[in-house]
Amino acid sequence: MVSASDPTQPQPVTIPLTQLQRGRKGRIALSDEASPDSAMLRAMGLKPQAEVRICRLGQPCIVAVKNQCGGGCRIGLDRSIADRVMVCPAD
Amino acid sequence: MNEAAKPELAGRIALLGNPNVGKTTLFNRLSGSRHKTSNFPGTTQEAVLGRITVDGVEHQLVDLPGIYALNLDSSESSVCRAVLNGNLAPEGEAPAKPDTLVVVADSTNLLRNLALVAEAARFKLPTVVVLNMVDLARRRGIHADESRLSEILGCPVVAMSAKSGENVDSLSGAIAKATPPTAAVGDSEADAERWADETYSAIAAPAPEDIDDDHDALTDRLDRAFTHPVLGIIAFAAIMTGLFWVIFSLAAYPMDWIDAIFANLGGWVEATLPEGAIRDLLANGVVAGIGGTVIFLPQICLLFLLISLLESTGYLARAAFVIDRVMRPFGLSGHSFVPLLSSHACALPGIMACRAIPDRRDRLATILVAPFMSCSARIPVYVLLVVILFPESPTMQAVAFAGCYVIGGLAGLLSALIARRSFLKGKSSGMALELPSYRAPDLVLSLKTSAERGWVFLKKAGTVILAISILLWWLGAYPNVGPAPESEALRTQAALVSDSEQIAALEAEADTLDQRYATQRSYLGRIGSTIQPVFAPLGYDRQLTIGVMASFAAREVFATTMAVQVAGTEEIEDEGVQNAIATAERDDGTPVFTTATSWSLLIYYILAMQCLPTLVVTAREAGGAKWAFLQLAWMCGTAYISAMIVYQTLRATGLG
Repeated sequence: MVSASDPTQPQPVTIPLTQLQRGRKGRIALSDEASPDSAMLRAMGLKPQAEVRICRLGQPCIVAVKNQCGGGCRIGLDRSIADRVMVCPAD
Repeated sequence: MNEAAKPELAGRIALLGNPNVGKTTLFNRLSGSRHKTSNFPGTTQEAVLGRITVDGVEHQLVDLPGIYALNLDSSESSVCRAVLNGNLAPEGEAPAKPDTLVVVADSTNLLRNLALVAEAARFKLPTVVVLNMVDLARRRGIHADESRLSEILGCPVVAMSAKSGENVDSLSGAIAKATPPTAAVGDSEADAERWADETYSAIAAPAPEDIDDDHDALTDRLDRAFTHPVLGIIAFAAIMTGLFWVIFSLAAYPMDWIDAIFANLGGWVEATLPEGAIRDLLANGVVAGIGGTVIFLPQICLLFLLISLLESTGYLARAAFVIDRVMRPFGLSGHSFVPLLSSHACALPGIMACRAIPDRRDRLATILVAPFMSCSARIPVYVLLVVILFPESPTMQAVAFAGCYVIGGLAGLLSALIARRSFLKGKSSGMALELPSYRAPDLVLSLKTSAERGWVFLKKAGTVILAISILLWWLGAYPNVGPAPESEALRTQAALVSDSEQIAALEAEADTLDQRYATQRSYLGRIGSTIQPVFAPLGYDRQLTIGVMASFAAREVFATTMAVQVAGTEEIEDEGVQNAIATAERDDGTPVFTTATSWSLLIYYILAMQCLPTLVVTAREAGGAKWAFLQLAWMCGTAYISAMIVYQTLRATGLG
């Protein structure tokens, strides 16, 4: 998976999904491409630029993927997978 | 359903979509009850076929497996790709490209669903896009412009709610006008995503800021409770206990009616037909045999109804994470939850569902232990035995019944642990699972699932089990050895006394002696007596040994076998089949079902591998006959030793 941000801009800070506080929002930056789940996660909606909100931290980690105009889905992730998904925290 | 006599169908319509978008609900709405289930050849993916009338012409409707994307390296994805390319068709059908592709999208999660629409558009098949669950989307303030989407795609788009039926009627008109999409999507994954992003921006109406916050807050709270390390397990245990309690308390009524119907039927056959082999065959072989099986239909239907209702609420996906925490110490993951839950219906679909488990060792361990889960064929045996063990207490019956499932589950987990610590060494991989929105249970869909499972069970009762009943009756009734030597003395004595009550008592005793004499010397009696020493340490007599042996053909035959064996010795029409079995006697006149024997049997049936089709599927799915042999030896060995320990302990402590 590639970073979707413009290479000419300074790279925003990215942190693992599991370091985002509960209730906080962020945007998916990239996930570990070598991971066998990467294509599946992307198809499930965890693709670069997708807006996510942390609903539950720990085991499992639950994220809501938000569509810009309402709606979306929820995905439960094992902590080991969530650790490898990088996000840019929103303000 | 018999489709053979029907005329050729005009064309094939395929339904494609993400999991949880209401595809099956739409399929049921369109095809009504006219459907059948088969497989995609060379795969373990189920194909559901139905019929739909478009413009007065009948078309075939194919429900494809739910997928997130067409390009994934999964069995579901490759089946969908092959069907859309015209290389694969359900068993018995000629492979050909579908004449129309209906892509079902979830209106409440449009962005992701549009990515699949983009992938599907590349196939350039005549296409209709369905924006489903539009009622739910409206309630959450989500709006999309379907006519704009239709313009962009270049094919018809219908917004509807398959569940409420809103606008479903206009789908057949849209199918008649289906055209290959003209939208240029590009070839790569990134192209499809970009197309989905752009199209989404063009058709989705901007929503007020954080429109579904209230909804989210409630879902957050429920999710946190249901996946909580302590609360989640308490909720899971409570829900499962409630489920079994409902099954037991509700099923008792229809079971009594069925019991009474078959008892009357047997009595009517005996009273109507002239004495002879035909009458015996019908009353003792067919009616008693079928009655002994059909009586469990209410329980099977209720189990599937309740599990399906639970599934439609969205709870089960949360339960998978609760179970994940429980299974991880045993070397399994929540990925194994769906296969193991399905195995509670039947190990065959359960083992097939193991294909979705990404890690090979994880998958093998799950396949090996799946048959430990209590499948529906064991229900009749469990019911029979828990009712014998606790005749007066429905509560204890429910607890014992639920206990059977727990013991089976624990045996499976411990076996998995042993496997993961020895020949399948390793840790299981993590889980990623979509958590569908919480919804009210879908009663229509669940009733349909329950009726289907019930029908499959009845068909089996009418074929395999009927055949086994007749065979058992024949083996039990022949060779005809005539009256027992001791009974003649009793009959002579009866002819000499004048008191009518005394005559009746003497004759009844003579009849019982005759029956026992005939059963012992019948083919069945001889087979049972030969094998019985093997099962003696477990406390089984000749009749139970025959029951256990016959169960290797099909477990649910146990109750039937016992019914056929006791049919001659007891007045079935007075007491009902269940009572007749419960009070059956051994050759020496002591009861067949003592407490120790009943527990020993229960443990044996929970743990033993007695299903040939499961072994065949295990060999195929695990990739070798050695896995099937391992499964057979491991399960039967565990069952034999555990049942022996239970029987001998109960006997030694005086509890049995």
